[in-house]
Amino acid sequence: MIEKVISGNDAVALAVKLSRVKVTGIYPITPQTYIIESLSEMKDKGELETEIIRVESEHSAMAATFGAAASGVRAYTATASQGLLYMHEMVWWVAGSRIPVVMTVGTRAVGPPWNIWNEHTDFMSERDSGWIMAFASTPQEAMDLTIIAFRVTEDERVFLPMMVGMDGFILSHTKTRVYVPSQEEVDSFLPPRRQPYVLDPEDPLAMGNMFQPADYMRLRESIHRAQLASKEVIVEAGKQYMKKVVPIGSYSTLNESYRLEDAEYAVVTMGAWSLDAMQAVDELRNEGLKVGVYRVRFIRPWPEEEVVKALDGKRVLVLDRSVSFGRGGQLYTEVRASLPNAEVKGVITGLGGVSIGKNEIKTVIRKFVERPEGVEWFYPKEGEKVELRSPRYIK
Amino acid sequence: MSLGVRDILNKHRLLSGTSACPGCPENIAMRLISTALGENAVFVVVAGCSSVIQGMGPNSAYNYPVLNIAFAAGPAAASGIAAAMRSRGKDVKAVVWAGDGGTADIGMASLSGAAERNEDILYICVDNEAYMNTGGQRSGSTPIGASTTTTPMGKRHNKKNIPFIMMAHHVPYVATASVGYPHDLMEKVKKAKAIRGFSYVQVLCPDPYGWMFDPSKTAEVAKLAVQTCYWPLFEYENGRLRIADECLHCLDKRTRKPVKEFLKVQGRFKHADEEKVRELQEYIDEMWDRLKLLYEEKLKF
Ligand code: SF4
Repeated sequence: MIEKVISGNDAVALAVKLSRVKVTGIYPITPQTYIIESLSEMKDKGELETEIIRVESEHSAMAATFGAAASGVRAYTATASQGLLYMHEMVWWVAGSRIPVVMTVGTRAVGPPWNIWNEHTDFMSERDSGWIMAFASTPQEAMDLTIIAFRVTEDERVFLPMMVGMDGFILSHTKTRVYVPSQEEVDSFLPPRRQPYVLDPEDPLAMGNMFQPADYMRLRESIHRAQLASKEVIVEAGKQYMKKVVPIGSYSTLNESYRLEDAEYAVVTMGAWSLDAMQAVDELRNEGLKVGVYRVRFIRPWPEEEVVKALDGKRVLVLDRSVSFGRGGQLYTEVRASLPNAEVKGVITGLGGVSIGKNEIKTVIRKFVERPEGVEWFYPKEGEKVELRSPRYIK
Repeated sequence: MSLGVRDILNKHRLLSGTSACPGCPENIAMRLISTALGENAVFVVVAGCSSVIQGMGPNSAYNYPVLNIAFAAGPAAASGIAAAMRSRGKDVKAVVWAGDGGTADIGMASLSGAAERNEDILYICVDNEAYMNTGGQRSGSTPIGASTTTTPMGKRHNKKNIPFIMMAHHVPYVATASVGYPHDLMEKVKKAKAIRGFSYVQVLCPDPYGWMFDPSKTAEVAKLAVQTCYWPLFEYENGRLRIADECLHCLDKRTRKPVKEFLKVQGRFKHADEEKVRELQEYIDEMWDRLKLLYEEKLKF
């Protein structure tokens, strides 16, 4: 293990290399861009065994990655925003086929209007696809979770794909200290690829052809059960990772609790701003407010037991960087459903790159203490709302 | 003396129990193509009749490893398979098996991308000139004048000429074939399999249901398409166009049979008036003008 100052993109690229990924299918644009640029550089220097297929769209990127994974090798891709939406059909195809694939989503707003900045809507729109979905809060975690993802997805209790979200620009492009493991350390953690269905002339089988309704439904149930079973696998893998690869981090649970034991209020977050929230909480504690942070790292599978244990009996504020229109934040909806009797408030903010830091989070928490119900939209500055033009009749 | 033909023909990998309609041209194509391909192949089946013809999962009537996949994803998935097989040290050809809709319309970008990258894959388009599996809607490959369920009075636009588009991609091998000419088809597939790089074969598959003719006549209609010069049989390799003997007569306008003879054996052109027939004939004549230039090496893609 060595220490390096690198960005989230570089950290993920190194994870891909260290995980001995054999095929990477990429449509090389959008803000995660230079994951593939870093990989291409490593490839040209002869440091990488991965074959890179530079395809013509994200739909194809996932298809190429899927084709490779179905043929029995470790395969990886990355995308964000419109790219993920364009890929949507193939995202479902992979999970429905129970084929292990790992993907990074450098989360970003979805147009229109064009907006290149960070938010979580792209990522959250894949909640129902059957993928295991983790979200990093630091470049270190983006790297760790990517390596862990290969182990989890290829576990026989799981055999599902996994995506790792990281905040576009905030994590993807910001350089910070990262502990990078050695190849031997990662090798000791990742066994060779294993999967039940492989395209092989020696054992010709058909994948994905027409199924009878009851068989189809059985497959759907198997995906659900594999999701539930993956909770145990994720924790096991996390512990092994801390033992064999990088001995820091907090992977012995799915999610992370911060100063929650004696807290009266809890702020639920996901992603990079969790660290801002932790600082905000520290300062508010100095002012006498008993508040802690619950950081969601896995949105799928949803860690129901952990959520209930950590938050039951507290007044809960959920910060969402995405929205399900007509309902509220997705994280809010999930937490609300797990805590039917608790006081839960949702705040949607930080969309499209609206900057939310420690001070803004403190303001949100103070407002919540005053008015603890409902769903709110929080703007850090006045005058950021856009009004629609008045309509006119068209001749 | 035995020529061993029976033995070769028995080595196809289409098992019994397919869900194809009687007289299905895609079944014929699969028999012939698998005979030519032999064993070391993986099929990517793009949404279409062939997604169903295999029969109900988990069983399959195609005795190959098959990856069924969404409409627009075939060539990209095959690219991934080819890369993975290389990395596993396996000499296995990735074969995309797609209908005309998946090829000419929704899959065009993916096809073009794989061709540009010169992926080591074989793309076979089984062209029955409409979306037959979903009830016979028009596709980019439906000819002008043909009625479909979405063009009940006949299509108003010409067939997209995909072999020409593929030739313009400068890939190592582009060929057309017909289920009416089995040897020609098998030869081409054999050749395409041996090529390192991208090869494209489009097989005309007259469909008794969408084209409205008796299911016992599939092969005859397929032959007539070639004889009337409606469907050319050629291969384009290293910048050279070869035309099959069966349609050399089409190079000269005077020896071309009128397309009418091909139209009258099917029901789908019954609404085509004189003008539509004339436009279709013009399309055919123009296609052959261009093929002639290529054949005489006065033009190169
Ligand atoms: S519709 Fe045509 S191509 Fe499709 S299965 Fe039936 S005969 Fe074959």
